Amino acid sequence: MKQENIRNFCIIAHIDHGKSTLADRILERTGAIDKRELKDQMLDSMDLERERGITIKLNAVQLSYQKGQEEYQLNLIDTPGHVDFSYEVSRSLAACEGALLVVDAAQGIEAQTLANLYLALDNHLTIIPVINKIDLPSADPEKVTKELENIGFSREEIVRTSAKTGEGIDELLEKIIEVIPHPTGDKKKPLKALIFDSLFDSYRGVITSICIKEGEVKVGDIIRMMETGATYEVVGLSINNPKEQEVKSLIAGEVGYLYASIKSITDVHVGDTITLEDHPAEERLPGYKPMKPTVYCGLYPIESNKFEDLREALNKLKLNDAALTFEPETSKALGFGFRCGFLGLLHMEIVEERIEREFGIDLIATSPSVVYEVELNDHTKVIVDNPSKMPKREAINKTYEPYVNCSIFSPSEYIGPLMELCQDKRGTFLNMDYIDTERVTIHYELPLSEIVYDFFDRLKSCTKGYASFDYEVIGYKPSDLVKMDILLNGEIVDALSVIVHKDFAYQRGRIVVEKLREIIPRQLFEVPIQAAIGMHVIARETVKALRKDVLAKCYGGDVTRKKKLLEKQKEGKKRMKQIGSVEVPQEAFLSILSTKES
Amino acid sequence: MIKHCYIHIPFCKTICSYCDFCKQFYDSQKVKEYLKNLREEIERDYQGEEMDTIYIGGGTPTCLSLEELKELMDILSLIHKSHNTEITIEGNVETISKEKLVLFKQYGINRISLGIESINENHLRFLERNHTKEQIQKTIQMIRKEGFHNLNLDLIYAIPGETIEEVQEDLDFLLSLQPEHISTYSLMIEDHTKLKIQGVKPIAEETDEEMYSLITSYLKEKGYIHYEISNFSKKGYESKHNIGYWKNEEYYGFGCGASSYKDSIRKTNTRSLTNYPKGNLLEREEVTESDKIEYEILLNLRLLEGISLSDFEEKYQMPLKDLYNYQQLVEQGLLIEEENHLRVPEEKIYVSNEIIVKLLQSKKEI
Repeated sequence: MKQENIRNFCIIAHIDHGKSTLADRILERTGAIDKRELKDQMLDSMDLERERGITIKLNAVQLSYQKGQEEYQLNLIDTPGHVDFSYEVSRSLAACEGALLVVDAAQGIEAQTLANLYLALDNHLTIIPVINKIDLPSADPEKVTKELENIGFSREEIVRTSAKTGEGIDELLEKIIEVIPHPTGDKKKPLKALIFDSLFDSYRGVITSICIKEGEVKVGDIIRMMETGATYEVVGLSINNPKEQEVKSLIAGEVGYLYASIKSITDVHVGDTITLEDHPAEERLPGYKPMKPTVYCGLYPIESNKFEDLREALNKLKLNDAALTFEPETSKALGFGFRCGFLGLLHMEIVEERIEREFGIDLIATSPSVVYEVELNDHTKVIVDNPSKMPKREAINKTYEPYVNCSIFSPSEYIGPLMELCQDKRGTFLNMDYIDTERVTIHYELPLSEIVYDFFDRLKSCTKGYASFDYEVIGYKPSDLVKMDILLNGEIVDALSVIVHKDFAYQRGRIVVEKLREIIPRQLFEVPIQAAIGMHVIARETVKALRKDVLAKCYGGDVTRKKKLLEKQKEGKKRMKQIGSVEVPQEAFLSILSTKES
Repeated sequence: MIKHCYIHIPFCKTICSYCDFCKQFYDSQKVKEYLKNLREEIERDYQGEEMDTIYIGGGTPTCLSLEELKELMDILSLIHKSHNTEITIEGNVETISKEKLVLFKQYGINRISLGIESINENHLRFLERNHTKEQIQKTIQMIRKEGFHNLNLDLIYAIPGETIEEVQEDLDFLLSLQPEHISTYSLMIEDHTKLKIQGVKPIAEETDEEMYSLITSYLKEKGYIHYEISNFSKKGYESKHNIGYWKNEEYYGFGCGASSYKDSIRKTNTRSLTNYPKGNLLEREEVTESDKIEYEILLNLRLLEGISLSDFEEKYQMPLKDLYNYQQLVEQGLLIEEENHLRVPEEKIYVSNEIIVKLLQSKKEI
């Protein structure tokens, strides 16, 4: 395929604005799949993705499109929509020359629409704004057009589509060919292929998704990873259209998959450049800004003999999720587990759910924590990503916590409740922009830890679900932080300790002990629950002792039933963690997140 | 060797709001048919062993007519018994007559169990029971006069709205009747009962337990032995039949909805009167050796005396302590091991499920 006829593009959108459906329609329209084969949302291959309606892993599809006499190759690179995955978005953007910015015709521009747009502009991509879902009764394409004009697009650039009915798809494909520049790399130059994703396959080893920027790669070539120096022989090359199809070579401008008997995903660094061993390029392509986990939590198997299984599960997930970090840790209360780092809360939830669902390991997740910085009296700095690492109060000179710039998009009628929420969350108001008379962006500076604690739920409930938000970490600021411990039956449960702002400690302590009292079932003895800062108890509740757990009658006909009942009770206990002499259900470890007064 | 036999009579003149037993309204045609089928089942399955105990339960066996009861007694004679076989019949105050008692006596019935449940008018109405103090007293006089010396009375407590004082009143009345045996049941709101359908909620567990404490201490004070979670008796009047269940012994179960345990199989007949003649089962469980041990433990621990460790070892060829690591529970005071028995302390018997589960969980890996 000559380079002039190749277009590499991705689709970016706010969650639920119809990105995946639009991709399906493009696939169908270009004949890659026919209607009968079309499972809803072809590109989302993981069950979890389809259920949650979000795209987690990247996927690249090669499509062919006939325009007049010319045949074009369109490479559609799918991107995740959620803010947690902005790192992955930027990776896929680096493989493209253009992006479709999809906006829901009824919802209009949302927080992630803008966040993704800015990312795409940073990557110098050509943007085609697409107003999708114009078939909806509530669609108002005219209003959305005005919104797009407000952020700098011209009316002529905008395409209106309905991925559902297929309206506008032809026009969109024409526009892609017309405005998105073709790749320009020289295929004669030494090979430079950008690894923008990798996937582990149990038969072929690591499969890398690559975009050839310069040169050509063929089956049988000896390649070298420019960052690690490792060399491999190319066993296979393929494209996805959207069934996998073997090819002999890939040339500059093309996107495809490469596998080379690479045994471990750790041998492949996403962002690295592949070149040829005997004819190497001089320098690497610019990589990606290193991503850092922003949220940490401890993951522990409920059954302590599942520790090795959990390690294996994390290793397997890590194969396809470079952003996930983990290292073993020990908790007095929970035994052996892992401290895991995530890009954000959604990322954390997805990993937990996949471990439970795909690997069948029941987990206890400790409350998520952000990464704090502590300056000691001797001016040394300590990084605290786990409350248990918090130094003693006497040794601390100053504490710092990460702050974010948060943009909230909302109908203007909710400004009041939103400002109240942000105030509650220790926010500092920055400014407010009106997109039009009814829609507003509010900018706040907020501690990241406050976003981790139920910010999203409260945002949704105080705006009836109409607001969306996005954030960007801006750095550390001094903050008066203390470690709050929770004691069950007089003993500190390390897994329940949290770092909180001093002014909020009393309130949090009270809410948490109340919540725990509701969650912890009655036991054979009374269980006091306390929240304490150092030696100072700030809140206390008691789980009353069990008074009755017996079957009144048990005669000939009740015997089997009684046994079944006790077996059920026994099963229930398996889902609990024994901490000292107290049996604690899984959900107790998340109770610490709860901020609602009960 | 199987030594116990249960016979179910699923008919009642009125249906109580809390009852989840197999029962239906009395209908003479159905009773006639039923007795015919019951006879067939016994003729088919009973293998001629001599029974130590026979228990005719319901429903309300005494609600059958004199003629029908004669037929039932005739069926009863199919079963071998000795001169000291304990033979119990259940009934209620409203349906017992002198003639019926004479018949029972004639056929060797020597124990009568009456559902008194309460004497408080409000609570009786709630339970949909229909008798008065005077009726109870008169019936019991009649029972005594006809020469029955082993009488059980049932009491229900923890009825929504009930007070401790009302439980005390019920107990005092019960004691004035001088029964040899008393069973007291905390009201359970079972599925498919009227109470459940009406959405009745149980009373607070604190109150329930307080009532239970009152009952156990008061009855003990009045000379009754507390021998099982819900059962009290004068010395020597423990229910032999029920102790058979709690000692995990085998038993026949004849009749609609009746359960049996024989040759390592626990089964329950269908509750449907139409399907009963076909021999349909509601449930069938093959009991493995390890199940047997679990049953042994959970049933034995209902008895205040607990598990006899020597009997256990003889029965299963293995000491209990080799199978379960219960030492820690003993140290925590949740179990007591003394005089060759392992038992739940009386003050913890009301939370015994929790303790039994912990014991079962302590099973050693073998």
